[in-house]
Amino acid sequence: MTNTTQFDPVSLEIMWSRMLNVAEEMWSTILRTAVSTIIASANDFGCEVLDAEGRSLAHAYRSMPVFNMTMPNVAKEILKKYPIESMHPGDVYMTNDPWMCAGHLPDIAIVSPVFHQGRFVGFVGNIANTSDIGGSLDTKRVTDSYEEGIFFPLCKLYDKGEPVELAFDMFRWNVRGPDMVLTDIEAQVAANQVGARRIQDFLDEYQLEDLSALSEAIRGRSETAMRRAITELPDGVYTNEVFTDGMGDPLRIAVRIEISGDEISVDFDGSAPQIDRGGLNCTFIYSRGHTYYPLACLLTPDVPVNEGCFEPISVRAPEGTIINATFPISVGSRTNTGWYIHGCIFGALAKALPDRIQSGNGLMSSIRTYGTEADGRIFNAHLFVGGGRGATSQGDGMGQNMFPSSASNVPVEVFELNSPTLIVAKELITDSAGAGRHRGAPAQRVIVGKLPSHPDPLNIYFHPNRLSFAPLGIFDGHPGTKTEVIHNGDVLSDDPSSMTNGYVTLENSDDRLILEFPSGAGVGDPTGRPSELVDRDVKNGLVSEESAKSKYGHDD
Amino acid sequence: MTEPTHSLSIDIGGTFTDFTLLNIESGELNVHKVLTDPENPTTALMRGVAELLETVGIAASALQVVVHSTTLATNAIIERKGAKIALLTTEGFRDVLEMRREQIYDMHDLHARYPDPIVPRSLRAEISERTDRDGNVFQAPNAEQSATIVEGLLNQGVEAVAISLLHSYKNPENEQALKEQISNRHPDLPLSLSSEVAPVINEYERTSTTVADTYIKPSVSRYIQSVEQELAQEGYEGRLLVMHSAGGVMDANAAMERPIRMLESGPAAGALAAGFYSELLGEPDLISLDMGGTTAKTCVIEGGKPAQSNSIEVARVHRFKIGSGLPILIPVLDLIEIGSGGGSIASLDNLGLLRVGPLSAGASPGPACYGLGGTQPTVTDANLMLGYLNPEYFLGGRMTLDIDAATSAMSSLGSDMGMDPIEAAWGIYNVVTESMAAAARIHIIGRNKDPRNYAIVAFGGAGPAHACEVARILGATRVVIPLGAGVTSALGCLAAPLSFESVRSLPGLLETTDWESVNGLYAEMESWGRDMLANSGVPEDQMRLTRTADMRLVGQIHEINVPIPDDTLAQTSAEGIESDFHQIYQQLYSRRNLSIPIEVQNWRLLVSGPQPILNLQEQIVEPNADARVALNGSRPAYFANANGFVECPVYHRYKLPAGAEISGPAIIEEEESTTIIRPGDSASVDRWLNLLIRVNP
Repeated sequence: MTNTTQFDPVSLEIMWSRMLNVAEEMWSTILRTAVSTIIASANDFGCEVLDAEGRSLAHAYRSMPVFNMTMPNVAKEILKKYPIESMHPGDVYMTNDPWMCAGHLPDIAIVSPVFHQGRFVGFVGNIANTSDIGGSLDTKRVTDSYEEGIFFPLCKLYDKGEPVELAFDMFRWNVRGPDMVLTDIEAQVAANQVGARRIQDFLDEYQLEDLSALSEAIRGRSETAMRRAITELPDGVYTNEVFTDGMGDPLRIAVRIEISGDEISVDFDGSAPQIDRGGLNCTFIYSRGHTYYPLACLLTPDVPVNEGCFEPISVRAPEGTIINATFPISVGSRTNTGWYIHGCIFGALAKALPDRIQSGNGLMSSIRTYGTEADGRIFNAHLFVGGGRGATSQGDGMGQNMFPSSASNVPVEVFELNSPTLIVAKELITDSAGAGRHRGAPAQRVIVGKLPSHPDPLNIYFHPNRLSFAPLGIFDGHPGTKTEVIHNGDVLSDDPSSMTNGYVTLENSDDRLILEFPSGAGVGDPTGRPSELVDRDVKNGLVSEESAKSKYGHDD
Repeated sequence: MTEPTHSLSIDIGGTFTDFTLLNIESGELNVHKVLTDPENPTTALMRGVAELLETVGIAASALQVVVHSTTLATNAIIERKGAKIALLTTEGFRDVLEMRREQIYDMHDLHARYPDPIVPRSLRAEISERTDRDGNVFQAPNAEQSATIVEGLLNQGVEAVAISLLHSYKNPENEQALKEQISNRHPDLPLSLSSEVAPVINEYERTSTTVADTYIKPSVSRYIQSVEQELAQEGYEGRLLVMHSAGGVMDANAAMERPIRMLESGPAAGALAAGFYSELLGEPDLISLDMGGTTAKTCVIEGGKPAQSNSIEVARVHRFKIGSGLPILIPVLDLIEIGSGGGSIASLDNLGLLRVGPLSAGASPGPACYGLGGTQPTVTDANLMLGYLNPEYFLGGRMTLDIDAATSAMSSLGSDMGMDPIEAAWGIYNVVTESMAAAARIHIIGRNKDPRNYAIVAFGGAGPAHACEVARILGATRVVIPLGAGVTSALGCLAAPLSFESVRSLPGLLETTDWESVNGLYAEMESWGRDMLANSGVPEDQMRLTRTADMRLVGQIHEINVPIPDDTLAQTSAEGIESDFHQIYQQLYSRRNLSIPIEVQNWRLLVSGPQPILNLQEQIVEPNADARVALNGSRPAYFANANGFVECPVYHRYKLPAGAEISGPAIIEEEESTTIIRPGDSASVDRWLNLLIRVNP
């Protein structure tokens, strides 16, 4: 089956497209039938096709990237725990083990074996962020994983098509809003049924016995492309460090990247020890995903990601650090650490890839309100807010967005409808953009008030990123801005430790919470910016005339 | 005055302007095609009209109706050729238009750009005003402030103004007040209000739609007025009707008032034509395959009706990437772009795999075989080399194709793949059909339908050459190639009823709906809709009203459209609506939902006039009809299931009699397109001279 004519440039293109489309059909099934905001609106899920050894072949293109990188690990663990002889059509496996799956308990992997002519030929699977997994709502105070919700070790959700009642009962009695959670899980299972059927049809049409030869071809081409991209980089050791806010004391992420021939090794030695409170720790599997992902963006952005892309890349992190935390440490808010890995890697590789790099990103933040409306209804609303995107060596930072997450914002009209809040402004901040030959994207300011008709005080919960450490510029580009938090005139962000509460209270309708989110950093010396671009920014009020002079050396 | 005898439709596309002229009495159809003139579209249009009328021998006064569809509105946005406009918005929110939904559309391209906002920041002005979520006005706009702001904008050369304020979908009072303040001082300044253009929740999408409407208003108005005048000068005494995005027509005044509704009116006409054939042929479930020079589009027809959607994304900066364009909230036929066209260029990607498109050779230099200097191999070059196109009879012989140029372009691509030129050409053909089939499949699956149960109606210049192979991949067995497949979209215009759809947002749980408010909204929408129809000359007793609502389970993003009863609504109506919702949900997703409550997002009303009656000329089917009378020689054509070239009979489409039977392999040529019938497939000609192909899976 591995003869080469079977996979000439035409047939491989067609068969690979088929695999990608299987994943797309799975994606479409979940998108249309899931009911939670986080899955249906924020698209916090991913779908994947894997071969009989649990190696990924294709994923849906809007999948949350880190899920694509962690899913194969789940499939491989299934093969260890459940020998192929014990698998049957209709079996469905599940786990939310943060150390096996995606780094925190709400991410649930649902994986189904695919059979063709009675033989096991591979897996289809998906990971989705469930709306609730139990545990404490006060996520900053948790001290271990046990407080963060229910933990499902790798287990069967369906056995030969029959639901495993214990698993469903565990959901029913351990999560808030079990109907919503179970409806979403049903959507995940349905997606796998669609995917499995499509793979069977595909194998029939092309008269293939299994996916192994195709898998080899897809992974082989991708691995070759990745090795070629690495070879073009100068050999050497590239290091960098960045800091996150931590729980008041900064946490260090250190990286050492060695490029040697056609291989890359990434080592996080020197990163901060894991921290016993607040869920800021990353499991290794999660950190590795957030290492693969930025490398794929830099090196092979046009290759649909599969396991072959990562053969030439090895990742290491010492146990007991925030990059490779050990059970049962808390991990719920791991994005507050993991999202900084990208900037750390981009910064390290700037010298090796000067024409492709991206400077520091503002990152996503969220605001949450919950309580009781005047008419007795419960409200529980989120407002996701994007940070300014870092500039790249090819252009200005593009917009305010959630990179490295694929989520979208929540419209102000929708947020207000669901919460007795008045958003007084949501606007770009003049002179916030990290200056540079290419400037970062400007930051946004959100001013929050209480709806005058709401009788009670209103708590606004938020866990800002970048209180102490601005996104860093590259090649003399200026840094972006940090988060500013101003409550009725008090600048809370001047003393980050004053904010460990995680919320402020708006007592009266003229109370104001002003949140200035981070901007993106710049790339290149700002005095090298073409003057017509500076003029345009001045005309649009994004850069003041003073800054045009002082930062950009613009003398009109 | 003599009784009008004909109806005329005109479809302006990127490359060609197509005309169909229908004799109302006999059903005889005459078609015509001229090159589009992007600089002076009216000139080419009027020339085509004059030529066609002269050929048929009638005067413009004999036209009962003229229906027009055009890409003008879409192109004005894509090419940024609209007016200089300003946006007035709520204080604190002028950047909504620029921040979009803050979502990445390509997860791996660090350099992916967003489209520039249509209104630059310097022309987005903030008004001190505010309405809350319940529609209570906290602060009304102040006339003095708005006067100063508008004065300043006009001094910068602004030609039209968009107004989009927070929560105006709930209460349009402040937008109306602003409109009055501005119109008092500047009665001729074109204004678009978000509460009129797209009164639905979500400030970004509503603003984006309103701004786009304002942007194209001046140029669309000028254009429509000039077409009306020219037609009148020619002697036409009727109204100019314009196709809208939702597959109906509106009169010229309505089009000038709300030009955004003209978006994609050409493709909508194509989908409507597919709907027409669905009814004509008794094929209730059908998909259209409209493949032209640069793109291929599909639409799902269910029960004779093209599928609808509530929004469309235009002017994507990355052609196939959802989220890279501008969202427009208008009712549209649910057309999706599924791939490349004849001019799309083939090349090897970074992985060494064959890719076709999205780059297109366009009309100039065009495919290598046009001999106009193109050197890269395209789909048309591949089709020529495979024997599917006649080098001497392209566009009815108005153009000859250079097979040596095609072969030379194909050779270099082939050698990069280790293939001979023919294998490379077959590869291109395969990759194109595969990608169209895959995209169509995802679209059909998304509606929870099985593609194998669908017939395909294929048209456009390149559709009939690819349709049977697309059908095979989808597992579909029936393909229809309508007569005049090259101009089918234009025919669709003549099948469109006058119609207007309106929508109001009142988001909330179905069980706690304020039915009195909903009745109020429907009364408002109905009176507006009846006025619009009456203004277009539809008598009261021929007006049809259809109510629906966009509903979903709480938390879902995807809405489904549920019928709403026509009578006065009350709490007792909820039960029936809920059960309809569950039934449609079950159909769409094959699954029941658990005990998740239902929410309603938008209430909709469609008012429409009578369906035009389109009688195509019928032929008598002779039992001994013989295809051989249309035989026009033979040539070798390549088929994979024949392991190479086989000699294929070539038929002249217009000489094929009703009732003729053809076995594949066969080639059927008409002026604007060529139909390829594969070995093993067979076709018959029906009494309307459509080709009905049976595809062997």
